[in-house]
Amino acid sequence: MSEKIIFWYGCNVLRHGDIVHSCLDILRRLGVDARPAGGPDYCCGSVKEANQAAADGMARRTVTKFNEMGRERVVAWCPSCHAHMTGFMGQAYEPEFGLTYLVDLLYERRAELAAFLERAVPLRVLVHKHVGFNDKVAVNDRLPALLRLIPGVDVVEDDYAAPGYMCASLAAVPAAMKDMVRETVRRVALHRADAVVTIYHQCYRELVGLEPHANIRTFNYIHLLAQSMGLPYEDEYKAWKKAGAGAAAAIGDKRLEQVGVQFFERAMLPELVKRPPGLTKDEG
Amino acid sequence: MTRTAMPTGAMQAFLRREADRILTACTRCGKCFEACPMTRYAPQLSGADPKAVVTGILGILSGEDGSPEALGWASVCVRSGSCVPACPDAVDPRMMMRIARMTASGGLGGPRRIPVRDDRDYFDRVRAFAKLQLSEDELRDWM
Repeated sequence: MSEKIIFWYGCNVLRHGDIVHSCLDILRRLGVDARPAGGPDYCCGSVKEANQAAADGMARRTVTKFNEMGRERVVAWCPSCHAHMTGFMGQAYEPEFGLTYLVDLLYERRAELAAFLERAVPLRVLVHKHVGFNDKVAVNDRLPALLRLIPGVDVVEDDYAAPGYMCASLAAVPAAMKDMVRETVRRVALHRADAVVTIYHQCYRELVGLEPHANIRTFNYIHLLAQSMGLPYEDEYKAWKKAGAGAAAAIGDKRLEQVGVQFFERAMLPELVKRPPGLTKDEG
Repeated sequence: MTRTAMPTGAMQAFLRREADRILTACTRCGKCFEACPMTRYAPQLSGADPKAVVTGILGILSGEDGSPEALGWASVCVRSGSCVPACPDAVDPRMMMRIARMTASGGLGGPRRIPVRDDRDYFDRVRAFAKLQLSEDELRDWM
């Protein structure tokens, strides 16, 4: 292994165990010794906008833990974590590590990565972009460049970038979310694309419902890299979205017991049955 | 190596310093407002004077209630960052809007003046999805 890093995957990507596992496999293939860290105990605190005392404590705790791990570089999966570390946590506290966004690491190592992309993934794809975060990391150029390393992938040229830094922020402005979904669907048709590919997990969560509800295949970019590398992980979140009201059966009784049926029905099922907004004209 | 524990409260102190910096640097030209792709989603911003809206935002940073237009703009800010290159004075309007949102949502101790999504299940939901897909060892060692 050439470099020891902390792979800071964040919180909400834990809906997508396949993405976390695939990232670690990809890093391993690239010779990177990645120590995974994420979930609520490593929260950046950006979700606590309305409680800065809590956000402050989370920021301090996470920077302290990373310092204690003694690795020179933290590689972030989540743009929100990355932006919060750069703009707030790292300004207020004293990180003893460098920070890199995963897309940048993959882009740095793209020649090595290309050697592992052996299987063709014949898809014409529209990359779902946002205007925010791109000024911090040039994801809107680098991500398509990574996808073009995959044999068979054809990335369409398109200049649409949704407002915000990822779809999480649009959730608070429903009309903007509807406009984004409609524009995405329109452009898929315009370009005769086979699929939408998201850069961020949170956009994937919002858009993966296009597959059951609008017949538009949807992926995160890691899914396509993993397919091309022959990694074995199943996208269970997509399967649950497709199952919708039947997601409980797809998950299975044993696993549901681990989270509690009542909690699942109250706090998890609603997002699994939710359709992307704006797909029908009567939604306004 | 023995580390000295970092003092608590540094984030809030940083936010206060940033607010003071922005209040000094901003000339209220309104170019950040004009560049924002989200203003059309706030009805109270229809026909609003950019300079007046920005003045309202600075008022929030100063501890004032904030005008309806300023609160409307803060409500629809989604961190697009289109305001950053539009600013001729290197204010970092995205930071200005973040601190305005934190303040107007009651995050720095004052009253709540803009809608906030309270999601009491947020972290438990994250843990639950993790339980469905990570092994016991991964849950113990990675989280």
